[in-house]
Amino acid sequence: MNTLRLVQRILLTLLFVLALAPDLQAQKRIGVIMTGDVPYYGAMHDAFVAELNRRIAGEEKIEIILQRPFPDPIAWSNAARKLIAFDVDLIVTYGSPATLAVIHEKTRIPLVYAGLYEPDQAEMSGENVTGCGFKVPLSSIVRYFKRLKTVNTLGIVCSSIEEDSMRQYATMKEIAEQHNMKAEKIDIRGRADLDGLKTKKTDAVFITGSSLAHLWLADIMEILRREKIPTADIFPDFAEAGVLMTLFPPPQQQGQLAAEMAAQILLGKKPVNIMAYTFRDTELVFNLVEARHFGIIFPIELLIEATKVIE
Amino acid sequence: MILRPRSGHGFLLRLVICLLICLAAPAARPVAAPAQPEELLIGIEPEHNIFDQMERYRYLAGYLSQQLGVQVKLTIMSRYGEVIKRFRSLKLDGAFLTSYTATMGIDELKLEPVVNPVNLNGESSSQGYIFVRKDSGIRNVNDMRGKSIVFVDPATMEGYLFPLAYLQQHGVTDMNGFFNRFYFSGSHVSAIFAVLDGRADIGAAKNTVFNRLVGNDPSIGQELAIIAQSPKAPEITLCIRQEIDPDLRARLAAVLLQMDKTAEGRKVLQQFNAIRFVKSSRADFGGIEAMEEQARAAIAEHVK
Repeated sequence: MNTLRLVQRILLTLLFVLALAPDLQAQKRIGVIMTGDVPYYGAMHDAFVAELNRRIAGEEKIEIILQRPFPDPIAWSNAARKLIAFDVDLIVTYGSPATLAVIHEKTRIPLVYAGLYEPDQAEMSGENVTGCGFKVPLSSIVRYFKRLKTVNTLGIVCSSIEEDSMRQYATMKEIAEQHNMKAEKIDIRGRADLDGLKTKKTDAVFITGSSLAHLWLADIMEILRREKIPTADIFPDFAEAGVLMTLFPPPQQQGQLAAEMAAQILLGKKPVNIMAYTFRDTELVFNLVEARHFGIIFPIELLIEATKVIE
Repeated sequence: MILRPRSGHGFLLRLVICLLICLAAPAARPVAAPAQPEELLIGIEPEHNIFDQMERYRYLAGYLSQQLGVQVKLTIMSRYGEVIKRFRSLKLDGAFLTSYTATMGIDELKLEPVVNPVNLNGESSSQGYIFVRKDSGIRNVNDMRGKSIVFVDPATMEGYLFPLAYLQQHGVTDMNGFFNRFYFSGSHVSAIFAVLDGRADIGAAKNTVFNRLVGNDPSIGQELAIIAQSPKAPEITLCIRQEIDPDLRARLAAVLLQMDKTAEGRKVLQQFNAIRFVKSSRADFGGIEAMEEQARAAIAEHVK
């Protein structure tokens, strides 16, 4: 009888342990912070997972713990703390605010970032930090706008709680002023701020890589389309929400490089020995359906510049 | 009526006279001189905006027709690289050719260079630029390894031949392996915008187009850095078939070279965006031939 109870206890304990640790076979755990449901970061993450599986399939068992915090400083901080508490082997972040939240925690866990705007300007250095980002010449967007219509006032949708978005705002403001345009800041910190789009009189709008703005892109586009204000975006408009033109770095290559860096770190290489990388390739997409809505005619010599035209 | 037999002597004499008349008739026509055509069909290499281009050339064609008494017609050749093929298939009498295609035409079709237009800046020549974004970190050929490069068209000196020769000169023999990616934009303007936008890291294009864009938008000049410049070569040359009547050829050259001397001619030149035409010769293309020689191995490797 006692032996039976002992066996029962052992079995119960085993079951309990298995329930607590869902994947005991997982040898490495990667924590990922992907802000909100931004499709751009989603495409980057898909490429990351695919490339990581390709690189270490059969060699290591990997568990990925994905955090999708709402774009908010507290949420980013909580997501970072959770992953540190999980004691993951590596943290991967998409975008500047999530990356800064992890760095702020001063953890020893290696960090690989991706989807960062001009990382060399973002002070993302540290012994345990490496990653890749992108650079997009924002001046090109202004030039294309100028070739399509007269722009006296350029609205810039940004979010003052997002570091990269604000750097893009500052750069775009400077470029617009160089081109004799007035820059109008449209700061999105909450849904109520979307009303600013209705009151500010602009001839065209540029949307920075703000997670908040992209979370509510459909709402933003609804307002701007109603006001007949053409838009340009630094992220792709995967859902074709109505952005007239997008100039963006392809997300796949950043996801793939982040996976390559992650694989190297998991196999023992130190982040400090992995050189950070800035992608400069861009894709230019014109949406002719939206152009018709805005009464804009793309000259043929402009159309041929596009890597993709939506008709 | 008595039929008398013909005198054999008189018959022979008449036959000889008839034969002499028959033989003399064709000899009176000029055998060597080609007939003056009723029209001249002139080809144009396509530029970025062919509508603007046709408009500019239309005035010139009208002026030449009036001055020469020969209908001058224009046709756009579909693209740079097809000049030689098109010249034959369209049975062109001449063409306004860029330096590399003119060199090919002179070499393969034995075309005669006649005149070059002098542009509004007083230049009749152009040169190739190799350029990058200033913030790209690319300063020399070594920095170009693994990057992407945009050319204009395989038949352009500024947008293909020069960068190939330059790279070859700097030790880049395997173009396909050296660059991560290369492509042809189809126009000088597109090559410049591709680098500005970040769609390519390195670009090659014609200086006149580059300078015009910078003139219109100085911020372009602030964002791009020129890494290398080719020697100068005639930008556009009117080349004519050798078979064209020498008299017509001479009159064509004279009309073009004298255009800036008359008010009507100056008006047409203005519409053509030129201040005058200057004489051209085969010697003007010596530099291109040397460049072609230098890039020969790279071209062979590149087209593999």
